[in-house]
Amino acid sequence: MSKQKGCRPGWFLRLLGYKKTQFLTIPLFSILCSLLAIAILILLIGKNPLTAFQSLLQGSGWLPKPNYAAGKSILTDLLEMLDAYTPMLFASLAVALAFKAGLFNIGVSGQMLLAGFVTTVLVGYQDFPAGLAKPLVVLLGFICGSLVGALIGFLKYRFNVNEVVSSIMLNYIIQYVVGFFIQTRYVDVVSRQSRTINAPARLTLVDVAWGGVKLRLPLLFIPAILMAVLLYFYLKSTVGGYELKAVGLNRQAARYAGIKVGKRLVSSMTLSGGLAGLAGVTYYLGYYASIKPNELASLGFDSIAVSLLGNSHPLGIIFSSLLITSLDKGSTYMNSTVGVRQEVSSLVTGMILLFSACSAYIRYKVDDSLRLSLAGSEGTAAPIQRKTPASGSGKRGKNA
Amino acid sequence: MNTMIIDGLSYALPLLIIACGGIFSERSGVTNLALEGFLGFGAFTGSLFVALTSSWFSNGSTVPMYLAFLFAMLGGGFYALLFALLCIKFRANQVIAGVVINILSVALTGFLTSQINSSVFGEASNKFQLGVSPRWTVPGLSQIPVLGAVFTKFYPFEILIVILVIFINYLLYKTRFGMHLRAAGDNPQAVDTAGISVAKVRFTAVVIAGMLAGLGGMCYAYSISTNFSPSIYFGAGYLAIAAMIFGNWKLMPTLAACLIFGLARSGAYQLVGYLKLSSNYTNLALAIPYVLTLLLLIFFSKTNRAPRALGEIYDKSKR
Repeated sequence: MSKQKGCRPGWFLRLLGYKKTQFLTIPLFSILCSLLAIAILILLIGKNPLTAFQSLLQGSGWLPKPNYAAGKSILTDLLEMLDAYTPMLFASLAVALAFKAGLFNIGVSGQMLLAGFVTTVLVGYQDFPAGLAKPLVVLLGFICGSLVGALIGFLKYRFNVNEVVSSIMLNYIIQYVVGFFIQTRYVDVVSRQSRTINAPARLTLVDVAWGGVKLRLPLLFIPAILMAVLLYFYLKSTVGGYELKAVGLNRQAARYAGIKVGKRLVSSMTLSGGLAGLAGVTYYLGYYASIKPNELASLGFDSIAVSLLGNSHPLGIIFSSLLITSLDKGSTYMNSTVGVRQEVSSLVTGMILLFSACSAYIRYKVDDSLRLSLAGSEGTAAPIQRKTPASGSGKRGKNA
Repeated sequence: MNTMIIDGLSYALPLLIIACGGIFSERSGVTNLALEGFLGFGAFTGSLFVALTSSWFSNGSTVPMYLAFLFAMLGGGFYALLFALLCIKFRANQVIAGVVINILSVALTGFLTSQINSSVFGEASNKFQLGVSPRWTVPGLSQIPVLGAVFTKFYPFEILIVILVIFINYLLYKTRFGMHLRAAGDNPQAVDTAGISVAKVRFTAVVIAGMLAGLGGMCYAYSISTNFSPSIYFGAGYLAIAAMIFGNWKLMPTLAACLIFGLARSGAYQLVGYLKLSSNYTNLALAIPYVLTLLLLIFFSKTNRAPRALGEIYDKSKR
């Protein structure tokens, strides 16, 4: 990192410093740094990082594998990845929306689980026709999630209960209570999970034969993308979105501006919970068709990171979820072909997040050294040049 | 009843020491959601030490256990450096950094455990086996009805934690360092004006938080599972955060919160056994402590006040 920046105010620095594209270049730079770090790690283990990354992409359906089993193709892998992507997108949007309102929704997993469980019982185990069951699942899932979200928001607004604590408590309560009901009433004795739901209620069409291969079709994939776009416009150009952001930026100022802060807190948490509910139904009644008792989906926590990687921006999240899901889905294939442990992919995720957490600092450093070097090239070129290379990863005073 | 107190304490005290880490960090003004990651990494280093050196000691020796606690503290503190660097030096959003640190810790320890197991020990396992911790009983005192349970079959680490907590109480409220720390969380400008580096105070606080959380993680590794595996990330860090906020960022109320968690949890187990319900009901019983906390929070949160500068990146030029 310091090597590239160390050269004169070169093309690289200027590219990173270009304000209009910084929203793109800085995250890409973070991703590049982390891939580099992981590549070194893989080299240390004694494997080829390039084949490892290639197999990651092959496993998640971006690149063709050398050979496929009968009835499978690159499309199978891609669609399976997109099937896992849909709940991730919903969950990350849920986190982002709450974050914009200055709230931290760490309870996405709990909201997902409750929504998944309630819809499984009320719709998944009934004999509704598909045309009725699917919309009902979506609607009920949204309602369940939003009720939990509303409760958290209400406790925050009415009783000053910290939303982080109440969401964590609710996570545990939901986990244990749902686990109890599954194990006493809805358990499948063989798999130790809840019984598989009836096909009409499932939000993913599995084994769709098309062109000689079997595919799965995540029905809510396109609606999820639309939802992200919708949220973008909601935040950008509606009164509600404006007020939500104002509350998130400065509660006091928002109150002075005449915004009903409590109402906004509750409503944004409700919406966030609803999105988490959608993530729950696409996860438990889409990607899977059953629920594992006593376990919260780790997706709910990963989505926090994904949302942050996307800078809590709905459109950014579309891409950050894609990246993280691809890494996750490709890891099994990487493990079996290259022999690099599956855990490496979560390590990549972790590293990407680590670097993107520093993105503000990187941006600041880039701007700083660019300014210095520009000043240098205009005036006395030679002496100030010495200063620029020092800008590696922070050798200056804390408030330089 | 006795079992409830014994188990309750062995669950509550590690939670308390983790929450103490949270108090250190948050009273100095650094929001700390990374406790879960600290405790996992601390437990990892401690367990790694035990796994690597197990052949050095005679069978049944308790020396590795005590050294494991030491190494867990070192490991937790070392890992906390990363968090401190992110939050203080790189001025990352503290909530974000905390979550990132947790995710990275799960990934890193999972990867390293498997990798070391396969390359050093030649085993395909994601666990490090630990020895069994001895449990002590004080003769005489343990005969007292009800209260005697406190002195019965406790883990050695419980004593360590009690001593540490007393020391922490002294450190936080009776020393200059403690005052600087608390001031850094409430009014960092004042600390700076007094000629003390806010960054240094916060850095120290976060590293102490990492050490304490690491110790707590190691305790859980010994008391709950006698091995290190990814199941160490069962949410104790988050629970400790809840206890700390519930305790209004003060030591004694946090202790109370931890005891409620621990006793309600072990009590729930006992209740299921006592009523001769099927083991499925344990789940329902396990939810009780959390419902209880939520209800208590509703009543007690009105007066809750976080440190004023909590979560704010210190900016010298700000008024």
